[in-house]
Amino acid sequence: MIVKTLLAALVAGLIAGVFTTVAQTARVVPIILHAEEYEGKEPAAEQPAGAEGQQQQHSSLEQPSTIGDILAAFSPITPAYAHEGEHEDEGGIMFGMSRFSGTLFANLVTGTGFSLLLTGISLLIGYPITLRNGVLWGACGWLAVHMLPAIGLPPELPGFPAADLHDRQIWWVATVLLSGAGLYLLVLRPEILAKIAGLVALAAPHIYGAPQPADISSPVPAVLGAEFAVAALATALASWIVLGLVSGYINDRFLNSA
Amino acid sequence: MATTTVSSVSLSLNDRITAGILALLIGGFLVFGAGLANSAVLHDTAHDVRHSYGFPCH
Repeated sequence: MIVKTLLAALVAGLIAGVFTTVAQTARVVPIILHAEEYEGKEPAAEQPAGAEGQQQQHSSLEQPSTIGDILAAFSPITPAYAHEGEHEDEGGIMFGMSRFSGTLFANLVTGTGFSLLLTGISLLIGYPITLRNGVLWGACGWLAVHMLPAIGLPPELPGFPAADLHDRQIWWVATVLLSGAGLYLLVLRPEILAKIAGLVALAAPHIYGAPQPADISSPVPAVLGAEFAVAALATALASWIVLGLVSGYINDRFLNSA
Repeated sequence: MATTTVSSVSLSLNDRITAGILALLIGGFLVFGAGLANSAVLHDTAHDVRHSYGFPCH
């Protein structure tokens, strides 16, 4: 029975992962590819007006592979597109997969991970995920993992300025955990004290403050960033709702009725 | 309220806690690997997913 429960979560996660890949390919990934054309350039604000053509030429000398990178995204074997100086070890997509296959694979893994986390929480707090409440489960997952952390660290495009990666990851993980706990206390606990504690847990990481970069100038156009932030959050919400609904359906159909 | 919902779960309490902790551990491991792990190969494979999901990246 334990195995059956975990298998149900696995299947829901895989289905959500496939859906997410399709949804990301429609809107979010094209914006990422677009932003990568600007990545590594000097911030636009520092360029004198009219120097755009020169700038284009300039950066094409510095980064001769940008267009090649984008073309390579469609070839079956993709070279590493790790950002310069980011890593000491060799990068590259595992198993020589294409960029799209890498995204699909990562979405399957992430979807399964989110699904197992949702199932684990549901089992431990004793509230089953059903078709009826699946949307709410998904929405709460999205709030805890994406929307609330995005208040401090909005989804960022390649080339955006950002604070130290380690600091941001710690703040992000802490915010996800506190937001999840806060939502549980606020939504599912009847006691007034628990609800107040939930609100405190939700607000605490934002009062503490997310790590911010010292210099916010960026070579990537602001319009792209705004489009991306909305598209990324909307895509994540759709994925979580699909995950919640599919989990609920599978649970209703194969587990809860057993 | 909690008791009525719990009764529809077909696992015993012990099984529920075992399965729950197991699911959290495996799920956390998978999300960490795809979203946060500081390995160049994992980063490059999951690059677009990390950005799309708003995981802190770069």
